[in-house]
Parts: sequence; structure tokens; C-alpha cells
Amino acid sequence: MNKKTFNKLGLDVYSETLDNGLSIYVVPMLNKHNIYATISTKFGANVNEFVPIGEKKMKRVPDGVAHFLEHKLFEQKDGVDPFTFFSQNGADANANTSYYKTTYLFSGSEKFKENINYLLDYVQEPYFTDENVEKEKGIIDQERSMYQDDPYWRMYEGSLANLVNEHPIKYPIVGTKESIYEITKEDLYVCYNTFYHPSNMFVVVTGNVNPEEVIKIIKENQNKKKFPNKQKIEIKKYNEKKEVSVKKQEIDMDINTNKLAVSYKIDISNLNDYTFYEIYNYILYYFDIKTGVTSKLVENLKEEQIIYEDFGLAVNNIDNYILINIFAETKEPEKLSEIIKQEINNKLIDKEEFERKKKCSISSTIMASDNIYHINNKIMSNIIKYGDIVYNDYELINNLEFSKLDKLIKSLSFNENTIYIINPKGK
Amino acid sequence: MNYTNYNMGPYNLHIIKNDDFKAINIKVNFKSKLDKNDITARNLLRLYLVNNTKLYPTERLMNVASEELYDLGYGSQGLVSGNFSIISFYVNFLNNKYTEEDNLEKSIDFLCEILFNPNVERKKFENKNFNIVKESLKNTIESKKENPRQYALDRLLEEMDKKSNYAINPNGYLADLDKLTEKDLYKTYEKMLTKDIVDIFVIGDVSANEIKELISKKFLINTIKKPVCTHFIDHDKFRSRVKTVKEEQDISQSKLYIGCKVDKLDLFQKQYVANIYSFILGGGPDSKLFQSVREKNSLCYYVSSSFKPICNLLIITSGIDKKDYKKAVGLIKKEIKSMMNGDFSQEDIDKAVATYINSCEAIYDSEVSILNNYVTAEYLGFDLMEERIKKIKTVTKDMIVEFAKKIHIDTIYLLQGGDQNEQEDLQ
Repeated sequence: MNKKTFNKLGLDVYSETLDNGLSIYVVPMLNKHNIYATISTKFGANVNEFVPIGEKKMKRVPDGVAHFLEHKLFEQKDGVDPFTFFSQNGADANANTSYYKTTYLFSGSEKFKENINYLLDYVQEPYFTDENVEKEKGIIDQERSMYQDDPYWRMYEGSLANLVNEHPIKYPIVGTKESIYEITKEDLYVCYNTFYHPSNMFVVVTGNVNPEEVIKIIKENQNKKKFPNKQKIEIKKYNEKKEVSVKKQEIDMDINTNKLAVSYKIDISNLNDYTFYEIYNYILYYFDIKTGVTSKLVENLKEEQIIYEDFGLAVNNIDNYILINIFAETKEPEKLSEIIKQEINNKLIDKEEFERKKKCSISSTIMASDNIYHINNKIMSNIIKYGDIVYNDYELINNLEFSKLDKLIKSLSFNENTIYIINPKGK
Repeated sequence: MNYTNYNMGPYNLHIIKNDDFKAINIKVNFKSKLDKNDITARNLLRLYLVNNTKLYPTERLMNVASEELYDLGYGSQGLVSGNFSIISFYVNFLNNKYTEEDNLEKSIDFLCEILFNPNVERKKFENKNFNIVKESLKNTIESKKENPRQYALDRLLEEMDKKSNYAINPNGYLADLDKLTEKDLYKTYEKMLTKDIVDIFVIGDVSANEIKELISKKFLINTIKKPVCTHFIDHDKFRSRVKTVKEEQDISQSKLYIGCKVDKLDLFQKQYVANIYSFILGGGPDSKLFQSVREKNSLCYYVSSSFKPICNLLIITSGIDKKDYKKAVGLIKKEIKSMMNGDFSQEDIDKAVATYINSCEAIYDSEVSILNNYVTAEYLGFDLMEERIKKIKTVTKDMIVEFAKKIHIDTIYLLQGGDQNEQEDLQ
């Protein structure tokens, strides 16, 4: 068992990788009442073509399969619904699928040992039948319908699709109506056997726990199970072009005010003087300074009543690109898109703004250290984004320099962008 | 944790000392008897007050100032709560231990700046910001259909009883908004300060004496008022035939909302029996509704019930395909009936109790949740966490069946999609 410390936050992280490859991270937070436990596989919607374990050829699986698999893991051979089990112990259980990972989780202050054992057991004992796979299609199609009615979600997925050419971030996480109905029991098993091997998964536990005990319970649980030997997983690589695939798209929906997304595909492949942590954070700072709540841009646009609300911002990272989406509600989408592009292209940054944003980052790091969910999420997202936990945020943030930000931004191109507009139907 | 309540004459000061958190939260509530005619003005007022002040004459400058205070979070809320309108102003910020010595005092000053130093000249709010905030609210009200779930709930409540207090929309109404002037808003402001009942809640690792001293020095409120009516709404009229309303909107998932009125209840029934009832009926993935409508019949992605103790209403919500309307309504009615017949087990009750206790335990991990628990204790006479954990265990099956018999289905509302033609998502 290793012990490391989140610098300046008064939190320790205990970790161990078991013989079968499963990684465990535990953060005891003893002044909290609750416990939050997650198990994740590094398999999300961004994987749709790979060599299945034990085979030699690439296989393309239907879109939405990672999400479908998440739904179906709740099906158990003995017919007991995992939700019933957790509910008996007073715990809240759930699961979610993103582009990058799938996570199964529970939170509950009582009966931790039973709960964590059950979490591991139901995730590690799939039971897919033709019948139970078929039954799920109507449910997932209703979930898809719900997202279709959300203009921001439509704009988000639509913009990502238009930014890339081949990369699977092009496809909705939940799949399309057609792909959902195409999915078979066999698809699920192929994905499960390839990506749910313990060596591709990790457990994170935060809250009122004893770390030695947690690791011991998980070890005992895993020792009782047999897994095939760890194998390298081969996932299709995409030679994603620098160019966006679609420059502009407009759709109609039953809404009152037009919606706009301006999205960027930023090539970060030639930035050898910077770590990925720096690149990612400097770019975020830049967009926050330019389009955030303290920007002159937002102030002017509100005065002119071009926008009423602050912008929304989303970030994704695929291969050598950072993808940024800026979301707005406006009656003048064309004009606004030009104004945003101009502002992002001028690259002038106020140093005072930058120093203040650093202060905000440090403050939010401290605030997050009070919350079992935030710390757990931070560990999960660090592992996915950086490959390991970042223990020294505090120093890293303090060490960010204005001159480096300035130089980095000046070396980037913001010319690859795409516009997505939703117009009110019939207006 | 240590709670102290000071009656300061013009306002009540509630201080919850809690060493487990690195942040401090303060919430100031202004409570007045609900009046449909001034709800729009009150909502505009709370939006205006957190938009700008004399010292920070634009929204951007407000945001800059809050970021300087280690990213202090601030905002306002407008609630329709039974027979009252409550507007709240809140700040949350880091404890002095993590900042400079005077962050506490400066943060309270920031809150006081919002409340007591608005951008007013000659008894009129400043015109430019007034128009910005007014237009923004106008857009919010006009866009209400963009969130079909919220819209369906608002419409259901309206259809149940247009004249009731629970049907009043906290956002306000366009006709009233159009008429509002800078002068009217100032009158609303004066009225709020002099006529509303004021409660201040503070939670964090603080010294009660220090807080009391700071607040009494800085809070410029000096008129004493008494509550004028009860918080709770009771029903005296029940429909002999269920009302059905269908409305069309161009969405892909139809929203099925069912509103039920409940006979007069005592505090124990409101807090405990109703909770267990609603959990068994439609509280989570393990509930009767979820199992029947989603798992057995694949008609929806979500279906749930929730009890509103202040208005004595039980609301059931689901998203379905409109062709399944009749079937879904039939299944939901069947489950409501099965509850009346006592068709549930002690095990179901135990699960609900365990989940309830866990959610009480989880309150201890969140400053905002603890604070809100004290708010409901103050306004509604509800029990605090410890008491709740004890009392929930005394709920019996007979009590739940007795409660189930008090439920009257009142209105079934369907927001139905137009044609099911979706081209855009076929990427």
C-alpha cells in the first residue's frame, strides 16, 4: 500500500494495484459521515472499434454500446436487482457513461463492507440474454428522446460531431435510434470481455473509511475470482485531421430564443515546452478570461442585449486536440458568432485577470477538499486525463506564469472552428 | 455542531457552528405573505440586487470583486413556499484560516453591499442595469417552454387550481413585468426591508459572538414584524372526476404529469409517513412505479413520485412516447391503488427507512444541506437530523395505508410531442 498526500489540503491518498491489475485509491475523510465508492473502466463512447480479446481483427461495434452495457450490468442472474440490494442498506446507487469511461457507484454510511463487495460482484458478473437486451431498447430509446429535446445537449453533441472527421466523439454517447436497436447480446459480451478486465479498471473510495480495511476487503473479494491474464488492448487509432469536418450547421427546434455554439479544434501537437497539465489549464484560463463572467466581452454583449445569460463552456481532449465549446443564448446568432471569433483571435490577455483567476483556482481546490464527491471525481478525472493523480495542484497552479500563458496562446491557432445554431421553429 | 438562535428584534440570527468545513455559508431570507400581484416585482428585485450595486455598478465589477474575495460565491433565489414568498440572498466563502485575516468581514461587507447599497438615485433604481435585468427576466419567462419538464410541472399545478397559491409561478408574469418601472422596484425594495420577516442563517467554523457583533453592526434592518399566516396549504375541495389536460409541443418525448391532492395531515405524517409512502411508490429505481412502468413494460426512462409537504400534493412525473399514454396512466393508477390496498411488505418499509436515514446522515456532509434543515425547522417546525433518524423508524404499515387513503388523483396532464419525425439525429 502506498501513501501520498494532496499537498496543502490535509488529505492522504492510499493506493495499491492488485495482482489482477485492479487499481485502488482510498482517501479517508474522517470528519465526514458518508462514504462514496466508484469503480470505473477506461471504456466509454470514444471506443467503437478495437481488437476483441482473443481475436486478431478489428471489430466495429454499434454506437452507444458502452452506455447500453452500463444499463445491462444491472441485470443479475439471480434476478435480484442491484438497486434493491443497495436500497436495503440505505445506499444510493447509480452508474454513468461518458466519452472516456463508465463508472458504477454507491454512496452510503452504513454496511460498507457488504456494499463494496456487492458493487464489485455485480460489475464483475455480467448476465446478458437476448430477452433482457431486447427489453432495454425501449427504455434507452426514451432516454435518447429526452436528450433530443434538450437544445444545449443537441448543440453540444452536434458541435463535437462537426469538429471531428473520424474520431468516435462524433457519435452520441447514447447512440442513435438505429444503432440502439442493432445492439446484440454478443456485442455486449465482446466489449465486456475486452474492457472490463480488472487491469483496465480502478476503484476510488472517499469518505469515512479506514484505508487498510478497504484495501483488504477488495483484495479478499478479488482473490476469490479468476480472471484471464492481462492482455494489451488494441483500440483503433484515428489519424484525425487538423481541419473541422463541418464549418456550420443550423437546425430548428420548438424554442423561444436562438442558441449558438462556437466550437474550436485546437491542435496541441507541437508544444514541446509545456506539460499537458499546463497546456490544458492555460487554454482553459484563456477562454475563461476571454468569455467568462469577468470579461469585457460579456459585459458589452449584455449591455447591448445581444445576450442575457453568461456563456457556457465545455472542454474535451482527444488525441492531439483540445476541443472547446462556447454556448450562448441570443437573438442574433450570426453577429454573436463573429464577435466571439474576433475576441478569441485577438489574443490580448490582461495580466491582472490571469492572477485573479489563479486565486480562484486555488480557492476551488480548497473548497473541493471538503467534499467526498469532489475528491472522488477529481481522482477519476485525473486518472483519465493525466494518467495519474495530480497531488500538487496547489503548487502547479501557483507556478503558472503569465508570460508562459501569453507565449502559448500566441503559438496556437484558433482558425479551426465550427458554428452550430438552433433557430426557433416557424420564426 | 452547536446551534444558537438570537432574537435581534428586527431579525432572527441563527448561527450553526461547525468545525468540519473550510467554507462559511450565509443565507438571508426575506419572507412575506404570498401575493400574485407582487411576485414579479419581488423576483426582478432579487435579480437586480445581485446584478450590481453603488460600489460595483456593473455585473462584471461585482464578479471581479467576488473573485478578489477568494472567489466568493453569491446569488439570490425566489421561492413560492406555501402561503409565503421567500427571497433569499446568499454568500459562501473560505474561512479566514485559508485566506487573509479579514476575509470574513470583507465577505459580510459584500453581502451587505448587495442588500443595503443598491444602485439607487432619488428613490429610483438606475435605468441602464434595470433594463438589462428586466429584459433578461423577460427572456426567461418567454423561454419557459424550453424546459419541458419544468413547463409540464408548472402547467399541471395551474390546471389543478389556477387560483391556488401553489400555482403561482416564482418567475413572475409578463403582463406585470412590462408595467414595472424603476420607481416601482424601489417601492418593492423598501417594502421588503420594512415589512418582510427576516432570518439570517450562518454556518461554518465561526465564533458566534464575532458573527453576532459583525451582523448587528452592519445589518441595517430595524422594523419588527410578526408572521401573519400559516405556511402550509390545505385542500378543502376535491374533484369527483379526474381532470385530463393535453397540450401539444414539438418535442420528441411526451411528459406525463399526474397531480394528487392529499387530505389534511399532521406534522408526523407530512415528515415521515408521506416520505416512506412516496419512496415505496416512486422514490427510486427499486420503487413500484419504476419497476412497473420502466422495467416490466419498457415505457419510459424515468418515472417517479414526490410529495410536497408544504402544499400537501403528491406529484408523479414521467417521460413517455405519446402512443403509450393510456397504458402508462393505467399502470400508474394501478400502483397508487395497490398502495391503498396495502400491497407492499415490511421489507419495502425497511428499505425506505434505511434510505431515509442514509440521506439524513449525508446532510451532515454538506453545509448548505445542514443550513436548509435549520430553515425548515424554523419555518415549518420540522425536526432536525437526529430527531428525524429516530422518528422515521416508528412509521408502520398501517400508517402508510391510512395515508394512501387520503390521496385523491386530481389532474392528469400530458405535454405531447407532435409528429415523431426526427431527421437531425441520424448522423
